[in-house]
Amino acid sequence: MLQPLTVVLLVASGLLGLLATHHLIRGRLVDDPLIIVGAAIEVALVVQLVVGLSKASAIADGAERATFIAYLFTVLLVIPATIVIAVKEKTQWAMAVVLGGALVVAILVARLQQVWSLNV
Amino acid sequence: MSEPSPTPSGTTGEPAVERPHTGHGFGRVLVAVYGLLALAATGRSILQITEYFDRAPVPFLLSALAALIYLVATIGLARGDRASVRLATIALTVELVGVLVVGTWSVVRPEAFPEKTVWSHFGAGYGYVPLVLPLVGLWWIRRTARATAASDAEVARSAD
Repeated sequence: MLQPLTVVLLVASGLLGLLATHHLIRGRLVDDPLIIVGAAIEVALVVQLVVGLSKASAIADGAERATFIAYLFTVLLVIPATIVIAVKEKTQWAMAVVLGGALVVAILVARLQQVWSLNV
Repeated sequence: MSEPSPTPSGTTGEPAVERPHTGHGFGRVLVAVYGLLALAATGRSILQITEYFDRAPVPFLLSALAALIYLVATIGLARGDRASVRLATIALTVELVGVLVVGTWSVVRPEAFPEKTVWSHFGAGYGYVPLVLPLVGLWWIRRTARATAASDAEVARSAD
């Protein structure tokens, strides 16, 4: 699809994962840097949605195209849900949730790229 | 990772120690994972039913059932009151039985499952998460219930 964007997203979710691990070890809760990185990922995901939707017609198979579009939208939900859950938790489990969320974003972005490259 | 630490009592007059709750502490991770599975299973079943239902109705209906169960489990664990936890317990038990039955069925008679479901092959397509998760969830509900009983006993003792 748009490989540089995919790379940026994978690096950014890796960064979020590292930050969450750091906070987990230091016993910190959700703070500004974490939310800024999360917001940056979300913006990149919205760009991915726009680019993806504009190019989706290149996927000939209807079911595969539907899968691709479904992933584009689904991945948008992960970071906000993760942050909401993590903010409410006042123990180190908050960071475990963020770490999981970062991993899920990375997996979904990789999966999107896979669906794209297998069908175009 | 540490146990939920006592929260400092605020101006609202909350008790110093948080009551055990299925949706707090480690429970947040469970709720997040169940929420994700609910999302994945719902998405997959909508896609399967709208795009190619005729291909394999049984697996597709199973996907829809799994989606519903994950949804109930997510909400039940997150709410954490007595009725919700009971509902979540039922959902998790059905989930465990479902993944075992469908998993075995799909191994013994693979021709019945030309299409994947979250439960076929014991959830291998999802890293066996569908198999492990109900066990972890039921363990967590049991642990929370015991902790609640213990803290209630504590309160009753200190009231004497």
